[in-house]
Amino acid sequence: MPSSRRNRTILIVIIIVCISLVTLYVRESDTGPLHKIQNFFLDLLSPISNFFSKIFKPVKDGIVNLFHLPSLSKEKRELQKEVATLRRQAGESRELEAQVEELKKLLHWSETNAQLDTVGADIVGQSPSNWQRLMIVNKGSSSGVKKYMSVVTEEGLTGRIISVGSRSSVVQLITDSRSGIGARDLRNRETGIIEGRNEDTMRFVPMNDEAVMQVGDVMVTSGLGGTSPPGIVIGKVTKVKKRAAGLARLVEVKPFVRFSRLDKVLIIITPEPESVILKEAQ
Amino acid sequence: MSRNRQLFIAGAVLLAFILQIAVMPQFKLFGVQPDLILVVAVVVAVQEGPVEGAIVGFCGGMLMDIVGPQVMGIGAFSETVAAFMAGMLKEFFMTYSILLPVLLVFIFTFLELSVNQVTLLMLGQENLPPFNVLGVILPAALYNVLAVLVVYPVFRRFSFTQKEESLILAKPGGG
Repeated sequence: MPSSRRNRTILIVIIIVCISLVTLYVRESDTGPLHKIQNFFLDLLSPISNFFSKIFKPVKDGIVNLFHLPSLSKEKRELQKEVATLRRQAGESRELEAQVEELKKLLHWSETNAQLDTVGADIVGQSPSNWQRLMIVNKGSSSGVKKYMSVVTEEGLTGRIISVGSRSSVVQLITDSRSGIGARDLRNRETGIIEGRNEDTMRFVPMNDEAVMQVGDVMVTSGLGGTSPPGIVIGKVTKVKKRAAGLARLVEVKPFVRFSRLDKVLIIITPEPESVILKEAQ
Repeated sequence: MSRNRQLFIAGAVLLAFILQIAVMPQFKLFGVQPDLILVVAVVVAVQEGPVEGAIVGFCGGMLMDIVGPQVMGIGAFSETVAAFMAGMLKEFFMTYSILLPVLLVFIFTFLELSVNQVTLLMLGQENLPPFNVLGVILPAALYNVLAVLVVYPVFRRFSFTQKEESLILAKPGGG
Protein backbone atom coordinates (compact mmCIF):
# COMPACT_ATOMS: atom_id res chain seq x y z
CA MET A 1 0.00 0.00 0.00
CA PRO A 2 1.43 3.40 -0.95
CA SER A 3 0.48 5.12 2.33
CA SER A 4 1.95 2.37 4.50
CA ARG A 5 5.12 2.42 2.37
CA ARG A 6 5.29 6.20 2.83
CA ASN A 7 4.83 5.83 6.59
CA ARG A 8 7.54 3.19 6.75
CA THR A 9 9.89 5.46 4.78
CA ILE A 10 9.22 8.41 7.14
CA LEU A 11 9.89 6.25 10.17
CA ILE A 12 13.11 4.82 8.73
CA VAL A 13 14.33 8.34 7.81
CA ILE A 14 13.60 9.58 11.36
CA ILE A 15 15.47 6.68 12.94
CA ILE A 16 18.45 7.15 10.58
CA VAL A 17 18.57 10.90 11.34
CA CYS A 18 18.48 10.21 15.11
CA ILE A 19 21.23 7.57 14.96
CA SER A 20 23.41 9.79 12.72
CA LEU A 21 23.01 12.75 15.06
CA VAL A 22 23.81 10.68 18.15
CA THR A 23 26.90 9.23 16.46
CA LEU A 24 28.14 12.62 15.22
CA TYR A 25 27.52 14.26 18.59
CA VAL A 26 29.36 11.61 20.58
CA ARG A 27 32.33 11.61 18.19
CA GLU A 28 32.83 15.37 17.92
CA SER A 29 34.70 17.50 20.46
CA ASP A 30 33.17 20.16 22.73
CA THR A 31 33.87 22.76 20.04
CA GLY A 32 32.16 20.76 17.28
CA PRO A 33 29.24 22.20 15.27
CA LEU A 34 26.49 20.30 17.14
CA HIS A 35 27.85 21.47 20.52
CA LYS A 36 28.07 25.01 19.13
CA ILE A 37 24.41 24.82 18.06
CA GLN A 38 23.43 23.72 21.59
CA ASN A 39 25.43 26.57 23.17
CA PHE A 40 23.87 29.09 20.77
CA PHE A 41 20.32 28.04 21.69
CA LEU A 42 21.27 27.93 25.37
CA ASP A 43 22.24 31.62 25.14
CA LEU A 44 19.10 32.40 23.17
CA LEU A 45 16.71 30.69 25.58
CA SER A 46 18.26 31.62 28.92
CA PRO A 47 16.52 35.07 29.04
CA ILE A 48 13.18 33.33 28.32
CA SER A 49 13.83 30.80 31.11
CA ASN A 50 14.80 33.67 33.40
CA PHE A 51 11.59 35.54 32.58
CA PHE A 52 9.35 32.55 33.36
CA SER A 53 11.45 31.63 36.38
CA LYS A 54 10.76 35.06 37.90
CA ILE A 55 7.06 34.90 37.07
CA PHE A 56 6.55 31.47 38.62
CA LYS A 57 8.92 31.92 41.58
CA PRO A 58 6.20 32.78 44.14
CA VAL A 59 4.14 29.75 43.08
CA LYS A 60 7.22 27.52 43.14
CA ASP A 61 8.26 28.79 46.58
CA GLY A 62 4.75 28.07 47.86
CA ILE A 63 4.87 24.50 46.56
CA VAL A 64 8.39 23.94 47.88
CA ASN A 65 7.42 25.22 51.34
CA LEU A 66 4.31 23.04 51.33
CA PHE A 67 6.33 19.92 50.57
CA HIS A 68 9.08 20.85 53.01
CA LEU A 69 6.77 21.26 56.00
CA PRO A 70 7.13 17.64 57.24
CA SER A 71 10.89 17.65 56.67
CA LEU A 72 11.24 21.05 58.38
CA SER A 73 9.51 19.75 61.47
CA LYS A 74 11.77 16.67 61.43
CA GLU A 75 14.79 18.89 60.89
CA LYS A 76 13.72 21.04 63.85
CA ARG A 77 13.54 17.99 66.13
CA GLU A 78 16.95 16.82 64.93
CA LEU A 79 18.43 20.27 65.47
CA GLN A 80 16.98 20.44 68.98
CA LYS A 81 18.61 17.11 69.80
CA GLU A 82 21.87 18.32 68.31
CA VAL A 83 21.74 21.51 70.40
CA ALA A 84 21.22 19.48 73.58
CA THR A 85 24.17 17.25 72.76
CA LEU A 86 26.39 20.21 71.97
CA ARG A 87 25.45 21.95 75.22
CA ARG A 88 26.40 18.86 77.19
CA GLN A 89 29.70 18.58 75.41
CA ALA A 90 30.52 22.28 75.65
CA GLY A 91 31.96 21.86 79.16
CA GLU A 92 34.41 19.21 78.17
CA SER A 93 37.92 20.39 77.53
CA ARG A 94 38.45 17.87 74.76
CA GLU A 95 35.66 19.45 72.82
CA LEU A 96 37.21 22.88 73.38
CA GLU A 97 40.43 21.64 71.86
CA ALA A 98 38.50 20.29 68.92
CA GLN A 99 36.76 23.63 68.56
CA VAL A 100 40.10 25.43 68.52
CA GLU A 101 41.25 23.01 65.84
CA GLU A 102 38.07 23.66 63.88
CA LEU A 103 38.59 27.42 64.12
CA LYS A 104 42.11 27.01 62.78
CA LYS A 105 40.71 25.13 59.82
CA LEU A 106 38.07 27.80 59.24
CA LEU A 107 40.75 30.49 59.44
CA HIS A 108 42.77 28.61 56.88
CA TRP A 109 39.66 28.32 54.69
CA SER A 110 38.95 32.06 54.87
CA GLU A 111 42.58 32.80 53.95
CA THR A 112 42.27 30.48 50.99
CA ASN A 113 38.98 32.13 50.00
CA ALA A 114 40.57 35.56 49.92
CA GLN A 115 42.74 34.38 47.04
CA LEU A 116 39.79 33.09 45.04
CA ASP A 117 38.50 35.31 42.30
CA THR A 118 34.78 34.81 41.76
CA VAL A 119 32.02 36.10 39.55
CA GLY A 120 28.41 36.29 40.71
CA ALA A 121 25.67 34.70 38.61
CA ASP A 122 21.89 34.37 38.75
CA ILE A 123 20.19 31.04 38.25
CA VAL A 124 17.95 31.40 35.22
CA GLY A 125 16.82 27.85 34.56
CA GLN A 126 16.89 24.23 35.54
CA SER A 127 17.34 20.96 33.71
CA PRO A 128 14.27 19.92 31.71
CA SER A 129 15.32 16.28 32.10
CA ASN A 130 14.36 13.92 34.91
CA TRP A 131 17.72 12.15 34.68
CA GLN A 132 19.90 15.17 35.35
CA ARG A 133 20.38 17.70 38.14
CA LEU A 134 21.54 20.79 36.28
CA MET A 135 21.02 24.53 36.49
CA ILE A 136 21.53 27.30 33.96
CA VAL A 137 23.26 30.51 35.06
CA ASN A 138 23.42 33.86 33.28
CA LYS A 139 27.21 34.11 33.02
CA GLY A 140 29.27 32.61 30.22
CA SER A 141 32.59 32.87 28.42
CA SER A 142 32.18 36.67 28.07
CA SER A 143 32.53 36.87 31.89
CA GLY A 144 35.56 34.59 31.93
CA VAL A 145 33.66 31.41 32.75
CA LYS A 146 35.27 28.17 31.56
CA LYS A 147 34.36 24.50 31.63
CA TYR A 148 34.92 22.65 34.95
CA MET A 149 35.01 25.85 37.05
CA SER A 150 33.54 25.35 40.53
CA VAL A 151 30.28 26.95 41.56
CA VAL A 152 29.73 27.84 45.21
CA THR A 153 27.41 29.69 47.56
CA GLU A 154 28.03 30.88 51.09
CA GLU A 155 26.68 27.47 52.20
CA GLY A 156 29.29 25.50 50.28
CA LEU A 157 30.07 23.77 47.00
CA THR A 158 27.13 23.75 44.58
CA GLY A 159 28.52 22.16 41.43
CA ARG A 160 30.73 22.76 38.44
CA ILE A 161 30.36 24.22 34.97
CA ILE A 162 29.92 21.57 32.28
CA SER A 163 28.89 23.64 29.28
CA VAL A 164 29.64 27.27 28.42
CA GLY A 165 27.82 29.64 26.09
CA SER A 166 28.85 33.26 25.60
CA ARG A 167 26.30 34.65 28.09
CA SER A 168 25.13 31.54 29.94
CA SER A 169 26.48 28.28 31.31
CA VAL A 170 25.21 24.94 32.54
CA VAL A 171 26.03 23.94 36.12
CA GLN A 172 26.14 20.27 37.05
CA LEU A 173 24.99 20.08 40.66
CA ILE A 174 26.99 17.95 43.11
CA THR A 175 23.91 15.75 43.54
CA ASP A 176 23.83 14.85 39.82
CA SER A 177 24.65 11.18 39.33
CA ARG A 178 27.48 12.03 36.94
CA SER A 179 29.17 14.31 39.44
CA GLY A 180 32.30 13.13 41.27
CA ILE A 181 34.27 15.48 43.52
CA GLY A 182 37.56 14.88 45.28
CA ALA A 183 36.70 15.24 48.98
CA ARG A 184 38.35 15.14 52.39
CA ASP A 185 36.96 14.36 55.83
CA LEU A 186 37.85 17.33 58.05
CA ARG A 187 38.04 15.17 61.18
CA ASN A 188 40.31 12.31 60.09
CA ARG A 189 41.79 13.86 56.89
CA GLU A 190 40.77 10.81 54.85
CA THR A 191 40.29 11.53 51.14
CA GLY A 192 37.96 10.01 48.60
CA ILE A 193 35.28 10.89 46.09
CA ILE A 194 31.81 12.23 46.73
CA GLU A 195 29.44 10.95 44.06
CA GLY A 196 26.00 12.31 43.27
CA ARG A 197 23.04 9.92 43.11
CA ASN A 198 20.28 12.08 41.63
CA GLU A 199 18.89 12.20 45.15
CA ASP A 200 19.04 14.77 47.93
CA THR A 201 22.05 13.02 49.44
CA MET A 202 25.39 11.94 47.97
CA ARG A 203 27.76 9.05 48.60
CA PHE A 204 31.34 9.31 49.86
CA VAL A 205 33.75 6.63 48.61
CA PRO A 206 36.94 6.81 50.73
CA MET A 207 40.28 5.91 49.12
CA ASN A 208 41.13 3.96 52.26
CA ASP A 209 38.65 1.13 52.72
CA GLU A 210 39.39 1.00 56.45
CA ALA A 211 38.77 4.74 57.04
CA VAL A 212 36.71 5.29 60.19
CA MET A 213 33.78 7.46 59.17
CA GLN A 214 31.38 8.97 61.69
CA VAL A 215 27.98 10.58 61.39
CA GLY A 216 28.46 14.35 61.62
CA ASP A 217 31.85 14.41 59.88
CA VAL A 218 32.20 17.52 57.73
CA MET A 219 33.39 16.95 54.16
CA VAL A 220 35.38 19.54 52.19
CA THR A 221 36.90 19.53 48.71
CA SER A 222 40.35 17.92 48.66
CA GLY A 223 41.61 19.78 45.60
CA LEU A 224 42.72 16.46 44.13
CA GLY A 225 41.58 16.14 40.54
CA GLY A 226 42.29 19.78 39.84
CA THR A 227 38.78 21.11 39.28
CA SER A 228 37.85 22.51 42.73
CA PRO A 229 40.14 24.47 45.05
CA PRO A 230 40.75 22.64 48.35
CA GLY A 231 38.84 23.45 51.53
CA ILE A 232 35.38 24.29 50.21
CA VAL A 233 32.72 22.74 52.44
CA ILE A 234 30.49 20.20 50.71
CA GLY A 235 28.28 18.55 53.31
CA LYS A 236 27.95 16.43 56.42
CA VAL A 237 27.98 12.64 56.85
CA THR A 238 24.45 11.60 57.80
CA LYS A 239 24.66 7.83 57.58
CA VAL A 240 27.41 5.19 57.70
CA LYS A 241 26.03 1.82 56.73
CA LYS A 242 28.08 -1.34 56.53
CA ARG A 243 27.15 -3.69 53.76
CA ALA A 244 27.44 -7.44 53.88
CA ALA A 245 29.41 -9.78 51.58
CA GLY A 246 32.42 -7.52 51.17
CA LEU A 247 30.53 -4.84 49.27
CA ALA A 248 31.47 -1.19 49.66
CA ARG A 249 30.10 0.73 52.63
CA LEU A 250 27.50 3.39 52.15
CA VAL A 251 28.69 6.70 53.56
CA GLU A 252 25.84 9.11 52.93
CA VAL A 253 26.63 12.83 52.75
CA LYS A 254 24.00 15.55 52.89
CA PRO A 255 25.02 18.73 51.06
CA PHE A 256 25.00 21.99 53.01
CA VAL A 257 23.53 23.81 50.01
CA ARG A 258 19.74 23.87 49.76
CA PHE A 259 19.32 23.56 46.03
CA SER A 260 15.58 24.22 45.94
CA ARG A 261 16.16 27.72 47.35
CA LEU A 262 19.12 28.79 45.26
CA ASP A 263 18.91 32.16 43.55
CA LYS A 264 22.48 33.34 43.14
CA VAL A 265 25.80 31.55 43.00
CA LEU A 266 29.50 32.40 42.73
CA ILE A 267 31.66 30.92 39.99
CA ILE A 268 35.32 30.54 40.98
CA ILE A 269 37.24 32.10 38.09
CA THR A 270 40.73 31.78 39.56
CA PRO A 271 42.46 29.52 40.25
CA GLU A 272 41.38 27.96 36.95
CA PRO A 273 40.63 24.24 36.84
CA GLU A 274 43.89 22.45 36.08
CA SER A 275 42.33 20.21 33.44
CA VAL A 276 41.39 23.26 31.39
CA ILE A 277 44.84 24.80 31.81
CA LEU A 278 46.49 21.56 30.71
CA LYS A 279 44.19 21.26 27.71
CA GLU A 280 44.88 24.83 26.66
CA ALA A 281 48.63 24.30 27.01
CA GLN A 282 48.54 21.37 24.62
CA MET B 1 -5.20 15.42 8.29
CA SER B 2 -6.48 18.90 7.46
CA ARG B 3 -4.22 21.93 7.13
CA ASN B 4 -5.77 23.51 10.24
CA ARG B 5 -5.19 20.35 12.20
CA GLN B 6 -1.52 20.29 11.13
CA LEU B 7 -1.11 23.92 12.21
CA PHE B 8 -2.80 23.17 15.53
CA ILE B 9 -0.45 20.23 16.22
CA ALA B 10 2.62 22.28 15.22
CA GLY B 11 1.50 25.06 17.60
CA ALA B 12 0.86 22.53 20.35
CA VAL B 13 4.36 21.05 19.97
CA LEU B 14 5.90 24.52 20.10
CA LEU B 15 3.86 25.47 23.17
CA ALA B 16 4.73 22.17 24.88
CA PHE B 17 8.40 22.83 24.15
CA ILE B 18 8.32 26.35 25.63
CA LEU B 19 6.42 25.15 28.71
CA GLN B 20 8.81 22.23 29.07
CA ILE B 21 11.98 24.33 29.14
CA ALA B 22 10.69 27.44 30.89
CA VAL B 23 7.79 26.52 33.15
CA MET B 24 7.90 22.83 34.03
CA PRO B 25 11.31 22.96 35.79
CA GLN B 26 9.67 25.37 38.26
CA PHE B 27 7.12 22.70 39.16
CA LYS B 28 9.35 19.76 39.92
CA LEU B 29 7.89 17.47 42.55
CA PHE B 30 10.28 15.06 44.26
CA GLY B 31 12.86 15.95 41.59
CA VAL B 32 10.69 15.03 38.59
CA GLN B 33 8.60 16.99 36.14
CA PRO B 34 6.11 16.01 33.44
CA ASP B 35 7.35 15.40 29.90
CA LEU B 36 4.88 17.46 27.87
CA ILE B 37 6.52 16.53 24.56
CA LEU B 38 5.88 12.83 25.24
CA VAL B 39 2.33 13.57 26.35
CA VAL B 40 1.56 15.53 23.16
CA ALA B 41 3.26 12.90 20.97
CA VAL B 42 1.25 10.06 22.53
CA VAL B 43 -2.00 12.01 22.25
CA VAL B 44 -1.30 12.69 18.54
CA ALA B 45 -0.39 9.01 18.06
CA VAL B 46 -3.72 8.04 19.63
CA GLN B 47 -5.74 10.47 17.55
CA GLU B 48 -3.88 10.49 14.23
CA GLY B 49 -1.83 7.32 14.08
CA PRO B 50 1.61 5.95 14.94
CA VAL B 51 3.60 7.72 12.22
CA GLU B 52 2.05 11.12 12.96
CA GLY B 53 2.84 10.54 16.65
CA ALA B 54 6.40 9.54 15.75
CA ILE B 55 6.88 12.73 13.70
CA VAL B 56 5.63 14.86 16.60
CA GLY B 57 7.85 12.92 19.02
CA PHE B 58 10.83 13.41 16.74
CA CYS B 59 10.28 17.17 16.27
CA GLY B 60 9.62 17.81 19.98
CA GLY B 61 12.46 15.57 21.10
CA MET B 62 14.83 17.27 18.66
CA LEU B 63 13.88 20.72 20.00
CA MET B 64 14.64 19.50 23.53
CA ASP B 65 17.95 17.98 22.39
CA ILE B 66 19.01 21.23 20.74
CA VAL B 67 18.57 23.32 23.88
CA GLY B 68 19.59 20.75 26.47
CA PRO B 69 23.11 19.77 27.47
CA GLN B 70 22.56 16.16 26.46
CA VAL B 71 23.60 13.91 23.60
CA MET B 72 21.80 15.32 20.57
CA GLY B 73 19.36 12.87 18.99
CA ILE B 74 18.73 10.68 22.04
CA GLY B 75 15.63 12.55 23.17
CA ALA B 76 14.29 12.62 19.60
CA PHE B 77 14.92 8.89 19.24
CA SER B 78 13.29 7.85 22.51
CA GLU B 79 10.25 10.12 22.00
CA THR B 80 9.83 8.81 18.42
CA VAL B 81 9.97 5.16 19.49
CA ALA B 82 7.58 5.72 22.42
CA ALA B 83 5.01 7.67 20.36
CA PHE B 84 5.16 5.21 17.45
CA MET B 85 4.64 2.21 19.73
CA ALA B 86 1.82 4.00 21.56
CA GLY B 87 0.12 4.55 18.19
CA MET B 88 0.62 0.91 17.23
CA LEU B 89 -0.80 -0.32 20.54
CA LYS B 90 -3.76 2.02 20.22
CA GLU B 91 -4.85 0.17 17.07
CA PHE B 92 -5.85 -2.77 19.30
CA PHE B 93 -8.37 -0.68 21.24
CA MET B 94 -11.65 0.52 19.79
CA THR B 95 -12.32 3.28 22.29
CA TYR B 96 -12.09 7.04 22.46
CA SER B 97 -12.18 7.12 26.24
CA ILE B 98 -9.63 9.30 27.99
CA LEU B 99 -8.51 6.19 29.86
CA LEU B 100 -6.72 4.97 26.74
CA PRO B 101 -4.25 7.90 26.43
CA VAL B 102 -3.89 7.86 30.23
CA LEU B 103 -2.89 4.19 30.12
CA LEU B 104 -0.63 4.66 27.09
CA VAL B 105 1.13 7.70 28.56
CA PHE B 106 1.71 5.78 31.80
CA ILE B 107 3.17 2.77 29.97
CA PHE B 108 5.21 4.71 27.44
CA THR B 109 6.78 7.03 30.02
CA PHE B 110 8.47 3.87 31.31
CA LEU B 111 9.49 2.94 27.77
CA GLU B 112 10.71 6.40 26.80
CA LEU B 113 12.90 6.80 29.91
CA SER B 114 14.19 3.24 29.47
CA VAL B 115 15.06 3.73 25.76
CA ASN B 116 16.86 6.94 26.75
CA GLN B 117 18.98 5.13 29.33
CA VAL B 118 19.64 2.03 27.20
CA THR B 119 20.81 4.20 24.27
CA LEU B 120 23.25 6.05 26.56
CA LEU B 121 24.43 2.68 27.90
CA MET B 122 25.00 1.40 24.35
CA LEU B 123 27.02 4.53 23.57
CA GLY B 124 29.30 3.64 26.48
CA GLN B 125 28.43 6.73 28.52
CA GLU B 126 30.01 6.49 31.95
CA ASN B 127 28.39 7.28 35.29
CA LEU B 128 24.83 6.81 34.08
CA PRO B 129 22.16 7.81 36.59
CA PRO B 130 20.83 4.81 38.53
CA PHE B 131 17.78 3.21 36.89
CA ASN B 132 15.51 4.47 39.62
CA VAL B 133 12.00 3.11 38.99
CA LEU B 134 10.39 4.20 42.25
CA GLY B 135 12.23 7.52 42.58
CA VAL B 136 12.16 8.77 38.99
CA ILE B 137 10.21 6.68 36.47
CA LEU B 138 7.05 6.03 38.49
CA PRO B 139 6.62 9.64 39.72
CA ALA B 140 7.35 10.92 36.19
CA ALA B 141 4.72 8.53 34.76
CA LEU B 142 2.14 9.69 37.31
CA TYR B 143 2.98 13.33 36.62
CA ASN B 144 2.58 12.69 32.87
CA VAL B 145 -0.81 11.10 33.57
CA LEU B 146 -1.89 14.35 35.26
CA ALA B 147 -0.67 16.28 32.21
CA VAL B 148 -2.55 14.07 29.74
CA LEU B 149 -5.78 14.68 31.66
CA VAL B 150 -5.39 18.33 30.64
CA VAL B 151 -3.85 17.89 27.19
CA TYR B 152 -6.15 15.19 25.78
CA PRO B 153 -9.47 17.09 26.21
CA VAL B 154 -7.87 20.14 24.53
CA PHE B 155 -6.80 18.02 21.57
CA ARG B 156 -10.27 16.48 21.35
CA ARG B 157 -11.85 19.91 21.45
CA PHE B 158 -9.78 21.01 18.44
CA SER B 159 -9.77 17.73 16.56
CA PHE B 160 -13.14 16.48 15.54
CA THR B 161 -11.64 13.86 13.27
CA GLN B 162 -13.44 12.11 10.42
CA LYS B 163 -13.17 8.83 12.30
CA GLU B 164 -15.18 10.12 15.22
CA GLU B 165 -17.64 11.85 12.94
CA SER B 166 -18.41 8.64 11.06
CA LEU B 167 -18.66 6.73 14.33
CA ILE B 168 -21.28 9.13 15.69
CA LEU B 169 -23.17 9.07 12.42
CA ALA B 170 -23.15 5.28 12.45
CA LYS B 171 -24.75 5.09 15.91
CA PRO B 172 -28.31 3.71 15.83
CA GLY B 173 -30.67 6.61 16.09
CA GLY B 174 -27.77 9.00 15.72
CA GLY B 175 -29.38 10.67 12.71
